[in-house]
Amino acid sequence: MDFSRRSFLTAMGLGTAAVVAGCSTTSPGGSSAADPDGPVEGDITFLCALFEGATGKETLEGNLIKKFNEKYPDVNVTVDYTDYGSLNEKITTGLASGLMPDVVTLGVGWIPPFAFKNAIAPLPEELATRYTYEERVLEPSRYDGTLYALPMVLDTRIVAYRKDFFEEAGITDTPKNWDELREVAKKLTVKDGDKVTRVGFDPFSIDLRQCWETFLFGNSGELFSPDGREVLFDSPEGVASLQLFLDMMADGSADFALKTEAGQPTTLQQGTSAIMMTNNSLYVQLQQQSPELIDKIGTFVLGNTDPAMLQGGTMVSQSATSKHPAAARAFVEFMGSPDAVLVSSEQRGSVPAISDLKDSDYVKGNPMVAFALDNLDKARSEGGTPAWMEIREKIKPTLETAIVGQQSAQAAIDQLAGIANDAIARL
Amino acid sequence: MTAVAVVSTPRDVSAPPPDAPPRPSAPKRGRAGRARRRAGMLMLAPAVLHALIWIGIPMVAALVLSFTNYDVLTPPKFNGIENYVDALTDPVFRRGMLNTLVYAFFTVPVAMGIALLIALMLDTQLRARALFRTAVFIPQVTATIAVALVWLWIYDPRNGLLNAVLAFFGIPAQNWLSSTTWAMPAIIIVGIWQGVGLKMLIYLAALQSLPKDVYEAASVDGASKTRQFFSITLPLLKPATFFVFVTSVISAFQAFDLIYILTDGGPANTTTMMTYEIYKSAFREFRLGYACAQSIILFVFLLLLTLANRRLNGGDSGRN
Repeated sequence: MDFSRRSFLTAMGLGTAAVVAGCSTTSPGGSSAADPDGPVEGDITFLCALFEGATGKETLEGNLIKKFNEKYPDVNVTVDYTDYGSLNEKITTGLASGLMPDVVTLGVGWIPPFAFKNAIAPLPEELATRYTYEERVLEPSRYDGTLYALPMVLDTRIVAYRKDFFEEAGITDTPKNWDELREVAKKLTVKDGDKVTRVGFDPFSIDLRQCWETFLFGNSGELFSPDGREVLFDSPEGVASLQLFLDMMADGSADFALKTEAGQPTTLQQGTSAIMMTNNSLYVQLQQQSPELIDKIGTFVLGNTDPAMLQGGTMVSQSATSKHPAAARAFVEFMGSPDAVLVSSEQRGSVPAISDLKDSDYVKGNPMVAFALDNLDKARSEGGTPAWMEIREKIKPTLETAIVGQQSAQAAIDQLAGIANDAIARL
Repeated sequence: MTAVAVVSTPRDVSAPPPDAPPRPSAPKRGRAGRARRRAGMLMLAPAVLHALIWIGIPMVAALVLSFTNYDVLTPPKFNGIENYVDALTDPVFRRGMLNTLVYAFFTVPVAMGIALLIALMLDTQLRARALFRTAVFIPQVTATIAVALVWLWIYDPRNGLLNAVLAFFGIPAQNWLSSTTWAMPAIIIVGIWQGVGLKMLIYLAALQSLPKDVYEAASVDGASKTRQFFSITLPLLKPATFFVFVTSVISAFQAFDLIYILTDGGPANTTTMMTYEIYKSAFREFRLGYACAQSIILFVFLLLLTLANRRLNGGDSGRN
């Protein structure tokens, strides 16, 4: 098919015009024309990474939204369900197409990037004091001192161990620092000839990024400066945290290949590890898969110089471009209330973000959730820089290069620091 | 054509031969001609519009955005060729390029060879051949997520089928997907297995359309089956091979879902691919401008490969 020069140029011109038109859409940071103090009414959308499956949908729409509508009958909430794997994609495409949902669930560490770019709306400070929150729980909801989200559920990374293995090895106390961890892990490691059949410590069954961060915080390290503009994890504490894994692999008490495979019971359940890094949702997994092990598994918070428990979780936030900001704000407030928080936590086996719920039947009936709530004063969170979304993706593969022996811990941390500095410089 | 040329007498080439069919008349310049042109354009319009909206504009958009710092959250800012420089100096993206080449290098020829072999076997009077054809084609139409989940189990280092089979022969178990040595071969094997079906189908269709009389003539001349394969079948399959090769290379360069589910690009980026890095840049890191530059680099890769293959195959569709 022949194109004349004129027709080609016309097509290119039209395409470019369309692109330029697409590029020149109003910035999400632009102020919304709607009044945030106006009437609570209108159609709003809720991008939700919680309430998976049919049961979750029934819980959210058949229970929670119904209650919300009893108070606000003029608000129509449409839910867009997703999972954490696709949440980023949904938000990206929503923003690009100008169809950002009115209310979104976000992960810990995500607030600074979205707040920095004015994609989410600030919330009134009084929402931070209407219920009892641990200050460390609220930290990830703030950027530059302003509240941008309400925490709903927390997912903490804790250390779990097999009491029966400890007893067999004559170990009476859980380790208090890394030296003790290494010593205990060596004692608990079991070999069949040269083959390790049980590792003393399994740090690799949770995301390597989160595991390393837990150890970094436990070694009094920091990820970034308070303003998020300076990388601090390339400190001796950060290198030592990664080096610890390498040392434990070298002495055979940890093994990168011996970790929980997708969809399988954990190494602790299978008896192929004696201590492991895990999530508080392990208790629900034990109830479903290995109820006989419930009494045999204990938990503790580990640190080297400073006991630390990594706190992930899900927060709810309001889009800065919502056409019905009053309705969106009301829904955010509702989803951050004890009723919604408790139901969300139960549905996922998570830790409720509101400390007042410590006395609920759910928390009393789940020892790992209760343990996490009791230790929230030791909770630390990832993120802290507006460039976090870019940096977080690079942490795991870069740390892995040291784990698989491609480079030293120092070199991997230096490489990661270079990537993080570049990302921060692009802000 | 040659015989006719020999017996024909020299003549004025501009004059039509006396018994030649009348040439189709040129489009009329009058009202009727305009109406025909308008009708033609009208019929072309849906396809052109579709291509413009879904191919043309996104391509131009990707090209324009590749020269910007665009993060979705704020309007794009022109940054020249910075994204291209970043991409070409980024060790992870370069690793992705290398991995993609390795993946394509092994999956395309091996899968094409296996597909041709199976097509030859199924192009016979084999009993239950329809069943075999279906069996070979099923991986192509099965959702990749289901395929990947099955392979996750096969590759499971503790309870997987592969290690169980190896153990039967006294071969030590491997950590197929978390080993820097084995992860890429493991992905390649799945890629080959999944890609054989469609290639086999195309080869089978091509084999069934080959003229039988050529084989009869070759048999009469005493050509063996092997000689017939190399001297008749393979040359006649050239257009099909060109098509299978181009589509397979493009498909291999677009490998994504297997990586996403089986290894997440790991361990330590040993299985990451160009498409996977593009996805991560765009949707996980919010660097859409950078992702567009990576996409343009991928496009250039594919264009060069297609042109090279076209030249090697002697022009359009590989026809002689």
